Amino acid sequence: MATGVKKGSEDDSGEFAEFMADISHEIAKRVESLDPTPKSRPAQRKQATPVPDAGVIAEWDNVADRMIEEMG
Amino acid sequence: MSVVNYGTREITCKIVYYGPGRSGKTTNLQHVYSQLPEERKGKMVSLATETDRTLFFDFLPLDLGTISGFATRFQLYTVPGQVYYAATRKLVLQGVDGVVFVADSQSRQLAENIESLQDLHANLADEGLDPRTLPLVMQYNKRDLPPGEISGIEELDETLNFRAVPYFPANAINGGGVFETLRSIASTVLGRLSAPAPKGS
Repeated sequence: MATGVKKGSEDDSGEFAEFMADISHEIAKRVESLDPTPKSRPAQRKQATPVPDAGVIAEWDNVADRMIEEMG
Repeated sequence: MSVVNYGTREITCKIVYYGPGRSGKTTNLQHVYSQLPEERKGKMVSLATETDRTLFFDFLPLDLGTISGFATRFQLYTVPGQVYYAATRKLVLQGVDGVVFVADSQSRQLAENIESLQDLHANLADEGLDPRTLPLVMQYNKRDLPPGEISGIEELDETLNFRAVPYFPANAINGGGVFETLRSIASTVLGRLSAPAPKGS
């Protein structure tokens, strides 16, 4: 993995900035892949029942959630 | 080995520039230091003799600020290249996460490069580190010297780089190749970061 030798006078001002950009990207990837804390799943979008019929629980998902909570 | 500390949200990596005397290790750090924006410039500690040879070691703390929520620091060290400072080199290598081997491209320095590389391997082994797997990058410095005075890149690589790790030609005195080398070793070290072992394991 050889690279060409760059003259010091060229583009020196951006050297640290470029380094930081690369390293930041590397760290972001690494900490994400190693993170020991369980990832919270993105909340699933609950589909609203379009037109509730009589006797049908419209907000069934919410009711089920509450039941599970109460049982827990 | 360096660890991503999720408790304190810190990443600290120690990188050591190793190589024979006068190969340009301190010059590498001086160039990095010269490129730091003012707000990130801490102190570069350099303990040198009156003749400007590194007596003990150079230390450049590179505080990169908070990246992805983690306070990130790279600690760059050099070792004194002269053979009689063996104890100091061992000391500096303690807890190292990655090594940049700065070889002097001058043909007459080839034996010194080999000797220094052997010294590195012996000292790593003494520290319980595996010289075959520790992150390592080679830098062939002083490429700005007249072609008649320096060995070819292929020759240097064939002689010194038997692990076939990334290598970079450089003229550190003008800054050439310095950040490319640092980027490579930093990337290799970060790629080997591990999460802390779970409690009770």
